[in-house]
Amino acid sequence: MKSASKSVFALVAVAVTIGIVWHSNRVVPAKEATWDDVRAEARQAGYRLITTDGVLRQYNQRSESLLLVDTRQEWEYRTGHIKGALNFPIEPTWLSRWRNKGALEKFLGPDKNRLIVFY
Amino acid sequence: MAVKLGYKKVFRDPMGYPQWHARGLPVATSPAGLVEMSPQPAAARPIRGWAFIWTLLGIFAGGIALNLTPCVYPLIPITVSYFGGKTAQRQGKLLVHGVCYIGGLSVTNSLLGVTAALTGALMGAMLQNPFVLGAVAAILVFFATSLLGFWELRLPYWLTRAASKSYTGYFGSLFMGITLGIVAAPCIGPFVLGLLSWVAGMGNPWLGFLIFFTLSIGLGLPLFLLAMFSGKLDKLPRSGEWMVWIRKLMGWVLVGMAAYFIRPVLPQTAGTFVLAGVALAAGLNLGWIDRTRATFRAFEWMKLGAGIIGLVVATYMIGAFVMQGPGVQWQPYSDQLLSEAVRKEKPVIIDFSAEWCAPCRELDEVTFHDREVVKQAETGFIMIKVDLTRKGNPVHEELLRQFKVRGVPTVIFLDRRGKEHLDLRVVDFLPADQFLVRMAEIRKM
Repeated sequence: MKSASKSVFALVAVAVTIGIVWHSNRVVPAKEATWDDVRAEARQAGYRLITTDGVLRQYNQRSESLLLVDTRQEWEYRTGHIKGALNFPIEPTWLSRWRNKGALEKFLGPDKNRLIVFY
Repeated sequence: MAVKLGYKKVFRDPMGYPQWHARGLPVATSPAGLVEMSPQPAAARPIRGWAFIWTLLGIFAGGIALNLTPCVYPLIPITVSYFGGKTAQRQGKLLVHGVCYIGGLSVTNSLLGVTAALTGALMGAMLQNPFVLGAVAAILVFFATSLLGFWELRLPYWLTRAASKSYTGYFGSLFMGITLGIVAAPCIGPFVLGLLSWVAGMGNPWLGFLIFFTLSIGLGLPLFLLAMFSGKLDKLPRSGEWMVWIRKLMGWVLVGMAAYFIRPVLPQTAGTFVLAGVALAAGLNLGWIDRTRATFRAFEWMKLGAGIIGLVVATYMIGAFVMQGPGVQWQPYSDQLLSEAVRKEKPVIIDFSAEWCAPCRELDEVTFHDREVVKQAETGFIMIKVDLTRKGNPVHEELLRQFKVRGVPTVIFLDRRGKEHLDLRVVDFLPADQFLVRMAEIRKM
C-alpha cells in the first residue's frame, strides 16, 4: 500500500473522530416540536396520539387496566409523575431504544391488548 | 417501539406530565430515600458485569497476541514436534496432553497473578502514592524501551536449555507448559508486569488468578490447536522481521500504561495531553515511521490499523478535552457559606476530593460536566469542594471529623435545613443519571 493512500485513510479516520466528538458534545438548542412533527412521528412509528383530556377520561374510567409509562429519566420521574404511572427511562436516541427493546417487552407484560399510554 | 412488539393499543400523550401537573390532576412523587433504586454494590469493585467479560476477552486476545513475540514464536515448532511425536496415540489422549500443557502454562502465570494480588493488598494503599506511581511508570517505560528494541532482555542459558528438553507422559506435557511460561517470561514479562500492577491495584487474589488464567489460556490455545492438528505447520507465516513490529506494539502498550499510571500525579490538563501524546507517537511510529515489511499482505493492514487507532485515540482525547462543556462551579468551604445556605433554604452538596484520586477525577470529568447536573447545580444548590490533596488544613480536618469522612471521593448531601442524609452519600464514581436522582431526592427533603 502506498503511503499516500494510507495517509488518506488516516485523515478520514481522524476527521470522523472529530465529527463524533463534536456531535456528542455539542449543545442542542431545545427545539419546541410542533404539533405536525409529533403527528408525523406518530404516523411513522404506528402509535396514536392522545390528549391530556383523553388520558384523564381513561384514567377515571378504568384505572386498573390502563398502563401509564413515564419515559423520562428516573430523577424526573422521582420529582413528580402522573399518579400510578410507571417509570421506564428511554432516551430519545436509537441506541437507547435498541438496547431497551427486550426489557420493554417484559416491562409491558404479556397482555398485548392492554391500553398503554407513553409520555 | 411498543407497536413493533405487537401491542395493539399504544398511545402517546405528547403534552405529558407538565400539562397534567399544571391542571392540578393527581400526581405522585416517589417516597423519599433511595429504597426503590437499583441497589448500589457496597464494596467498590473496579469492574463488573459486561465490562468484566469484555476485559477478560481483551486479556484472552492479548494472550493470543503474545504468541507472536520473539520468545514464544520460536517455541511453536518445538511444541508442535513434541506433540507431533505423540500423534500415534489416540486423539483423546492427545487432548489430555494438550490440557495438561495449558494447565502447566496456567500454573506459572496464575501464581504470578495471585502473588501480585496478595502483595497488592499491602500495595493497594501505596498505589495512590505519587512516588510509587512514578516508580511503576518508570519500570514500565524501562521494559518498554526493551520491547522497542533499545536493549535485549535475556534469561540465563541453563533455564532455556532445561525448557527445551522433552519429558514423557502427562507430567511431561504439564512440565512443558510450566517451562513455556518461564521461557516466555522475558517477552511476556513487560506486558504482564503492567497487568500485574493493575491486579495488585485491585487486591483481589481470585480476580488475579482469573485474569492470569485467562491470559494463559489465550497464550496456550494457538499452540494447543496446532498440536492437535499438527502437520499443518507450513500454513504459519514465517517468523521474521514483522515480529519486531509486534514487539514494538507491545512496547507502546507499556508506554501507554505508564502514562496511565502517572496521570493522577500530573495536573489534569497535562495528564490528558501526555496520554494523547503517547497515542499519537505510537500511531505514527507503528503506522508510518516503522518500515518493517512482511511476506504476507495482512501485515500492511495491521500496521495501518494500529497507526489509525493511535491517531484516533489521540484525536478523541484532545477533542473531548477541547470541546468539553462547562463544569459545575465549585466554591471553597467556609462556615458562612453553610449558614447562608440554611438561610436561603438551599440544599448543599459537599465534594471531598483530591488530585491523586482516580474516581474523583472521573466524577469531575464525567458527572460534574454533565449538562443537566451543571444546570441543576446552578439553579438549586450550593456546591462546595473540599480539596484534600494536601493534608494539615485544620478547617478541613474538623470537617472530616464532623461528617465522619473516611476517604476520597466522598460526596455528601445536606438538605435545606442543613442536615446530612447519609443514605445519599456517594463514595465512588457515580454516573450522571444516578447523581441526578440523588439531587432530586435531597430537594424533596
